[in-house]
Amino acid sequence: MTPILETQNLSKAFFGIAAVQDVSIQVGQGQILGLIGQNGAGKSTLMNLVGGVVQPDSGTMLYQGKPYAPRSPADATHARIAFIHQELNLFTNLTIAENIFIEGFPTRGRGPFRLIDRAAVRSQSRAVLEEVGLDLSPDMVVDRLSPGERQLVEIAKALYLDASLIILDEPTTSLTTRETDKLFGIMRRLRQQGKALVYISHILTDVLAIADQIAIMRDGLLVTQEPAENFDVNRMIALMVGRSIEQLYPPRTSKPSREKLLELSGISARGIVQDIHLTIHQGEVVGLFGLMGSGRTELARMMFGLDTFEQGQIAVNGSSLTRTSARQSIRNNVAFVTENRREEGLLMNINIADNIALVSLPSFAAALTQIIKQRDMVDAVQQVAGALQLKSGNIVVQPAKSLSGGNQQKVVVAKWLLSQPTVFIMDEPTRGIDVGAKYEIYSIIDQLAAGGSGVLFISSELEELMGMCDRILVMSRGEIFGAFTREEFDQEAILRAAFRETSNGSNGSNGA
Amino acid sequence: MLNRFPKIGISLVVAAMLATMIFGAAAAQDPLKICFGFQDLETEFWVAGHKAITETLRAAGHEVLEYNANENPDRQLEQVRECIAQGVDGIIIIPQDGDSAVTIIGEAQDADIPIAVFNRPPNDRSKGITVVADNVSATEQAVEFIAQKALAKWEATGVQIKPLIVVGALQDTNAIGRREGFFNVINRYNEKYPGMFADPIEVASEWDAATALANLEAAITANPDVDFLYTSSDFLFPTIRSVLEPRGKWVPMGQPGHVLMAGLDGDATACMLIEQGYVDATGVQNLFYEAELTMNRLLQAVANGETQPNEVLLDPGFALTAGNFRWQDVDMWGCKLYYEGFLDQ
Amino acid sequence: MSTLDDRLNPAAVRIMPVAKAEAASRRAERPLLAFLRRVLLSDYFILYLTIFFFVVASIFFPTLSAPGNIANQLSNMWPLLAVAVGQTFVLILGGIDLSVGSIMAVTSVVGALFITQTLDAPTFDKSPLWGTLISDQGGILAGSPNATLIGVIVMLLLGTLIGLWNGFAITRFRMAPFMVTLVSMIFFSALALWLTASRNISGLPEDFLVLGKGDIISVYLGPKLTPDIARRDILPMVTYPFVIAVGLAVVAQFILSRTVFGRQMFSIGTNRRASEVSGVPSRRVMTLVYGFSGFCAAVSAVLYSARLEIGRPSLGDGLLMDIIGAAVIGGTSLFGGKGSIRGTFFGVAFFVLLLNILNAMRLSPFVIDAIKGLVILVAALLDITRTRLINREQRS
Repeated sequence: MTPILETQNLSKAFFGIAAVQDVSIQVGQGQILGLIGQNGAGKSTLMNLVGGVVQPDSGTMLYQGKPYAPRSPADATHARIAFIHQELNLFTNLTIAENIFIEGFPTRGRGPFRLIDRAAVRSQSRAVLEEVGLDLSPDMVVDRLSPGERQLVEIAKALYLDASLIILDEPTTSLTTRETDKLFGIMRRLRQQGKALVYISHILTDVLAIADQIAIMRDGLLVTQEPAENFDVNRMIALMVGRSIEQLYPPRTSKPSREKLLELSGISARGIVQDIHLTIHQGEVVGLFGLMGSGRTELARMMFGLDTFEQGQIAVNGSSLTRTSARQSIRNNVAFVTENRREEGLLMNINIADNIALVSLPSFAAALTQIIKQRDMVDAVQQVAGALQLKSGNIVVQPAKSLSGGNQQKVVVAKWLLSQPTVFIMDEPTRGIDVGAKYEIYSIIDQLAAGGSGVLFISSELEELMGMCDRILVMSRGEIFGAFTREEFDQEAILRAAFRETSNGSNGSNGA
Repeated sequence: MLNRFPKIGISLVVAAMLATMIFGAAAAQDPLKICFGFQDLETEFWVAGHKAITETLRAAGHEVLEYNANENPDRQLEQVRECIAQGVDGIIIIPQDGDSAVTIIGEAQDADIPIAVFNRPPNDRSKGITVVADNVSATEQAVEFIAQKALAKWEATGVQIKPLIVVGALQDTNAIGRREGFFNVINRYNEKYPGMFADPIEVASEWDAATALANLEAAITANPDVDFLYTSSDFLFPTIRSVLEPRGKWVPMGQPGHVLMAGLDGDATACMLIEQGYVDATGVQNLFYEAELTMNRLLQAVANGETQPNEVLLDPGFALTAGNFRWQDVDMWGCKLYYEGFLDQ
Repeated sequence: MSTLDDRLNPAAVRIMPVAKAEAASRRAERPLLAFLRRVLLSDYFILYLTIFFFVVASIFFPTLSAPGNIANQLSNMWPLLAVAVGQTFVLILGGIDLSVGSIMAVTSVVGALFITQTLDAPTFDKSPLWGTLISDQGGILAGSPNATLIGVIVMLLLGTLIGLWNGFAITRFRMAPFMVTLVSMIFFSALALWLTASRNISGLPEDFLVLGKGDIISVYLGPKLTPDIARRDILPMVTYPFVIAVGLAVVAQFILSRTVFGRQMFSIGTNRRASEVSGVPSRRVMTLVYGFSGFCAAVSAVLYSARLEIGRPSLGDGLLMDIIGAAVIGGTSLFGGKGSIRGTFFGVAFFVLLLNILNAMRLSPFVIDAIKGLVILVAALLDITRTRLINREQRS
């Protein structure tokens, strides 16, 4: 079988760090290639090379047997390669039909007075929508569609453009199971029609289910490309991470002491949280579990002083507070890793060093003049970056946005580490980062506890809480609805508490 | 995008070459380099003054460097400095205000370049060549003309004349002088013919058409029998018309209900309205005379090697009236514009 | 672009040497393109462009390169630079200060009212201050030996206070900077007109005027020294405005690049929420920055008033485009988080030169304004292109 797309020894480096190195893959006609790897392994860069978004430093590509060197995304579109990104590229204020035809509307008449042929737009878009099984009016505004439906509109657009190669980057992250099944059905049909598809995903079982070939990347290198039958999930993980994972979680190396670091008593805010009692001890990792809307993030924000509460007290660092602020909390050695890195964690356009130094900036300044001792600052930043094994180029030049998700999260953690806090509030610290980086974050949490800090670990992934925590508190509708010590950890019981099913007796009253 | 800037650079340069060709072509036998900086050309009055000066100078073969300060005296100062740096022989400015004019005159005289100020006198008239229009005299001439007619009317009917004056912004010396001229005439007549004029109604305009409209509406509504009107500037005639016309008071002379009207400035609209008979007279700054006076004095200073000529030149002005319209219109800048089709634009 | 320099300007995103070398080797076959690319991405791009323009335009308008003209253009730069420095600070925060022009106007007239030695009763008795602060004897400080000193301090204080008020309203009431400073702009320019009954204030003391035009070092470039050198041939090189404006710019650049305050400004401009989570005192920093912008506007008002020898209620009218334009041309982003005083300095130089060339071309002020607008647009586009090129190098 002749491959539709073949890359030959492609390489691309950013800031002197190889993102893609010497990669050769093939996608054949009527084939789905699953492309997997950790964040930062080079999958997206590889596909950006194919899509013309960036140009390779070396290596070549063959497309339909001919040399192919796109200088821009437009070149890729012209060659009938469709690229469906993680973040969808639809115009949400336009209709479905307008989005599908955005590259060129069918027109009537000629010369400067050509008119858009509305009837043709409608009938042609109906046809492609039918093909993807989307039973919606072409005149519907995209704004009103669900993420899954938007995904299908993107595919419909690719079909209209008659793409022979379709690249799907993490298409299922925001889809429901039903929508995912539907998407897979369409992908299979496209395969039958002889199109080639590249499917990038973190959900390994999905990849196994649908791909004909699987390519695995690690650290910019292609580890292997083999038929899908050769893989199972364990082998995939092992090849992605570069070692077999006996344990997804590092062993905890310390035990909590009796020393209280932070204690919430009776924190309430009407309609948000109610009478929260919570204690974090030295060396302890406390898990806070809850469904979306349970108030866990809101509670964390109140603890740190980003939002206000109406009643209750926070005892921390020897003082008892009825209100606090971010700056007060920082003075009290409390750190807060927020759940969204982009909006509240990082200064995306600013270099890594200044990001890491931000919280402790005043401590690097001369007393009176407030002049920053740059050398001291960079040395300290470098030290903490090294301790967290941050993978980056020159930290005083490279902006935070150029890092992979896992490394960005390390920058956020490093920023707080530098200010030497004793209490860490971490809200979804592993969201959106890959298996290997997650493991590293878990190790950091363990080291923090071993070093005598207390950690409040907030997550909606129960497994990681059970893997890492000494204690898990369950929040539901603004209340703490259950507390479980490590010996009592039981997935079913915890979930039941989260759903407020008290029949089986909640394991405890409020707090601890 | 990479080479966008160089492209602009080239087009700038081409435009510059054209400009040099056009403006540099007039060089003649004894060419002087005269810098002419004006604050703006917003009203037709300035347009006419600007035109009078540049055309005459160029006709005499001199090079004129024109600078428009766009109503910013600081920019004008920068521009005059630029002129000085270019080594001009003399400078004429129409300043934005009387204060900045003093600074600019000082700047030029420090650099030993003769300077003349046209049309808007500096606050300190001891420095530079300045031409001053006599607002009082020009106003008196115009108001005198309608007062004569009012006297005839009063003697014929015995009905007291109801006068109204639209005053300018009274921080402006021009506005003060014009108001003074108006009251001089009214008082003179009332002394001679007691009871001829009622107390004049004063309507503030602040040199702003909208303000004038509102105040005039109110005044005319309260005093519908006004039959004698003087406006401190001709540019307000369209405003006056829009108030009088709906009330049936916009009537040409010779017909019953005609309001005796006079103005000052002598712009194209006033010229037209006098021709049509709605307006009886307007006091005119003799713009062409002033331009000539300024220019000649400056050229004379350059010729004599005077570097800091100081002199105040006076323009008494004249009144263009329904009576002398047939022969004096040629001296009025507004009529010149009017005949050139200015109002049709 | 040494490493020291990198540290001076933490937020300026640059390609590190490794990547640059790669870029060069990659494009070795197109050396011209590589060269243009390097020039475009350089921090000194606007400086190169200014020099290029100057050289080319000088060929067609020889007067441009006359020493007298150069001295003039330099002197035109300083007041604009002073106010643009403050605006750059505000823009780096991601804000905008529309009120600088009216701050200049109100500080100009208040300072002048304090120190003027003559006031004309018939025009100024309409001012609300007549009889209290001012009388027909002039301002309250008229004749005092310290009039200039106190007058300047009053001006700087007033400008700073108005700026602080802007900052206070923006941070405490959480109002949009555009809104707050627009209101300030309208209010204070009306106040300036009201205080003076729309009149200029002249009669300022001699030692105040020195601040606007006094020279410290002058040069004479003529052929020989004779006793009767014409005044116009003596060129002021180092003047008080030069020392004041450049001093202000140097201090500002230092604050921006070397102090905690400067880093915090960049961090707020890049992401205010993230900065607040990280304990950056954003309200304090923002309030102070608007105060600084007011201070800079007042410095500029001193320079403009002194050189025009009047306090002017319409000072700063129509200057906003030049101020923001100079900053944007200098690479300061309207989206915040990016900019430098050095860039603004080049931007001011570029703007003054542009105006000089357009004037030399005898274009009407309307055409000149239109071209100025276009240049700002091109500068903004250029900045986007530069950012895109840099991002392309960095994307992973």
